[in-house]
Amino acid sequence: MKHAIDRYVDSLLRRRRPKPFPPTEDDLAMARVAIDLAAAVPDAQRPREAFVEDLRRRLSDQQEPHPAPPPAAYRPRGRRRFLAALTATGVAAAVTTDLVVSGTAQTTLAGGDLTSDTGGWQTVAHTADLPEGAVLPFDLGTLNGFIRRQSGRFQAVSGVCTHQGCRLHLDTPQTKLTCPCHGATFSVAGEPLSRPHGSHPLPALPRLPVRIDGDHVQVFGPTA
Amino acid sequence: MTAARHEVPAARPEPPSVLPTVLPTAAYASWEAIYADNVDRIYRLMYTKVGNRHDAEDLTSQVFLTALGPLRTTASVGEVRSYLLATARTVLASHWRSTLGHQVTVIDVDAVDLEDFTPGHEPPGPTAERLGAILSGLPERQRAILTLRFLRGYSIKAAAAELGVSVANAKVLQHRALRRAAGLDKEGEAS
Repeated sequence: MKHAIDRYVDSLLRRRRPKPFPPTEDDLAMARVAIDLAAAVPDAQRPREAFVEDLRRRLSDQQEPHPAPPPAAYRPRGRRRFLAALTATGVAAAVTTDLVVSGTAQTTLAGGDLTSDTGGWQTVAHTADLPEGAVLPFDLGTLNGFIRRQSGRFQAVSGVCTHQGCRLHLDTPQTKLTCPCHGATFSVAGEPLSRPHGSHPLPALPRLPVRIDGDHVQVFGPTA
Repeated sequence: MTAARHEVPAARPEPPSVLPTVLPTAAYASWEAIYADNVDRIYRLMYTKVGNRHDAEDLTSQVFLTALGPLRTTASVGEVRSYLLATARTVLASHWRSTLGHQVTVIDVDAVDLEDFTPGHEPPGPTAERLGAILSGLPERQRAILTLRFLRGYSIKAAAAELGVSVANAKVLQHRALRRAAGLDKEGEAS
């Protein structure tokens, strides 16, 4: 088929997940029609029972104070994904109890999310080791990076340079990450600061999922 | 633990900045009640926006995983629905941003009422009317191919046989029918 939009429509017809493609205005108009038509099938009437039950269980895990699976945004889809900053901003919500909801938007400067297909939450530090403003390196074998606490939030970024894959060093006084190979530097939040050669800035360092379990700071990564 | 989940700088949809204040005032007994009452509605709403089960399931998951944490269950049914809807809007927007890069479909929180998405009812609001509008404006054969393919689940081969044309012709016919239905081809042009 010569048109990308035809492949998109074909996926809808085959009840598959359509793949992204760079659409033209015409493609978008056609996709809208196809979506409206595709929404008329019985599939659309109610969700699968297995799905409803599975999501209920995940929500239950989320509500209970015991170890939970990674949040939805990190659920692996298909193959391992190295997202090259698909979303320009990541937004995290904070909780207060006296309102219906309360949100604190936070713009992150780091790159996309790096999430393992298989793995688990692994402790990389204790909260006591990581006071406000501190940065610590961690190494889980196949995954290494830097974890920090900033404005009360824990954030982790990959510790591998996005140029040629060398391992970054934490440069005292802990304000930036430096690459030993070509001297590129990144902020501890992951955004590229400088590179000695080349005119374009390097991609930002991928972020890693972090959670706090008791006094353990955990990163979601592949189990060895 | 609950607080810790929110430390993750995920691509979580931004919560709505305006707090819902509307009625009905009845409250849900628990988060499970919120979920049980609304999961079908959110799923059906999402399906009308993405047209496939996989994305509809993912987006439904995101809505509840995002929304249930910050929701207090003492909020009224109306407040909860408004919040779910607002969350759904940002979840969908984020989905399109990361896939096709354009807002292909949107959720208009002022126009959509989750009450209309009651489980077991006929296709909600716009779907049936929209379907009629899409198909009625087409020449007969274009209407036929879209009906066979989308509504009756024919493969391209079966649809081609039914219409007495080659598979290649059926593909072209389908493409043109969608173009025409999208308002891209004028009357009399290409059919």
